[in-house]
Amino acid sequence: MLSPMRTFARPNGRSDAAASRSHLGRSLTVKGIIDTDGEVHIHGRMLGRINAGSLVVSPEGYVEGDIVARDAHIGGRFNGRIFALNVTLDSSADVSGRIFHNTVTVERGARVDARMPWRPPSFFETLEQLPETKE
Amino acid sequence: MTMFTRNDKASEPNPVSPARPQGTGAAADYATRPQATTQPLSGTTMTTQNVSVISKALRITGQLESTEDIRIDGEVDGDVRAVSVNVGPNARVKGTVRGESVELAGTVEGRIEAKKVVLASTARMTGDVVHQDIKIESGAYIDGHLKPEYGKQENRPVSQIKPVASAARETPKPSGDVAARA
Repeated sequence: MLSPMRTFARPNGRSDAAASRSHLGRSLTVKGIIDTDGEVHIHGRMLGRINAGSLVVSPEGYVEGDIVARDAHIGGRFNGRIFALNVTLDSSADVSGRIFHNTVTVERGARVDARMPWRPPSFFETLEQLPETKE
Repeated sequence: MTMFTRNDKASEPNPVSPARPQGTGAAADYATRPQATTQPLSGTTMTTQNVSVISKALRITGQLESTEDIRIDGEVDGDVRAVSVNVGPNARVKGTVRGESVELAGTVEGRIEAKKVVLASTARMTGDVVHQDIKIESGAYIDGHLKPEYGKQENRPVSQIKPVASAARETPKPSGDVAARA
């Protein structure tokens, strides 16, 4: 099935980024699994799981579910779990759930109702299966 | 550490190191350009705020629904519904593609239901096409039935999509059509 390892396989190759950059528009709703090595920008709604190299949720975006990424940049609403080395929560972010991170940046003004466990990089390397967490 | 470089040449200029200071640097890099999230993507003409682009490296398992346009260059395993769907040459969709207008240059395994269908020469269509208006270019592969009956039967879900003003250009009289059917 989907291997989260793949999501980390490609460093931020800028030359490649344009080709592998996906853009989910404001009126798009996706239910299911998104899987990419590249960059995903979400302006619409996404319910399910995202495996990405780099994920951006724009201020009008909404994501519910699990995110596995190298970089996660949240500007919109998010509910669920994030597993990302680098997490940035914008001032417009409204986040609840759990944020497994190695480095995290929270802008002033962000709404955060979440546990934010720090993990060593090795944790993200070995994310073969997402751990079960129950509230 | 190994995971970040294993698929790449050793000459990777900026390997993301698990060392914490560098990780912070990457995060800070994001912070310094927060506008990126709201700006339309530059470089590609297709990428405006209203068009969704599923790039070639992306795979979606599940369903996509939009009241605007979708361009698919990647792989979709599931149903797609939008006003205008454009399936690129190397794209692949397994499922039903519904829309006012569907342009196919890639592969669809499943079904197309649209008012206006264009199958380009590189198209590969396995399954039925329900349409009102179809164009097939020489070279297109079709394995399925073409049914010119779109708009007569169970296509209600499509008609329920309310085209956004900007996206309504393909649909001269959608509301009248809906009323006639209802």
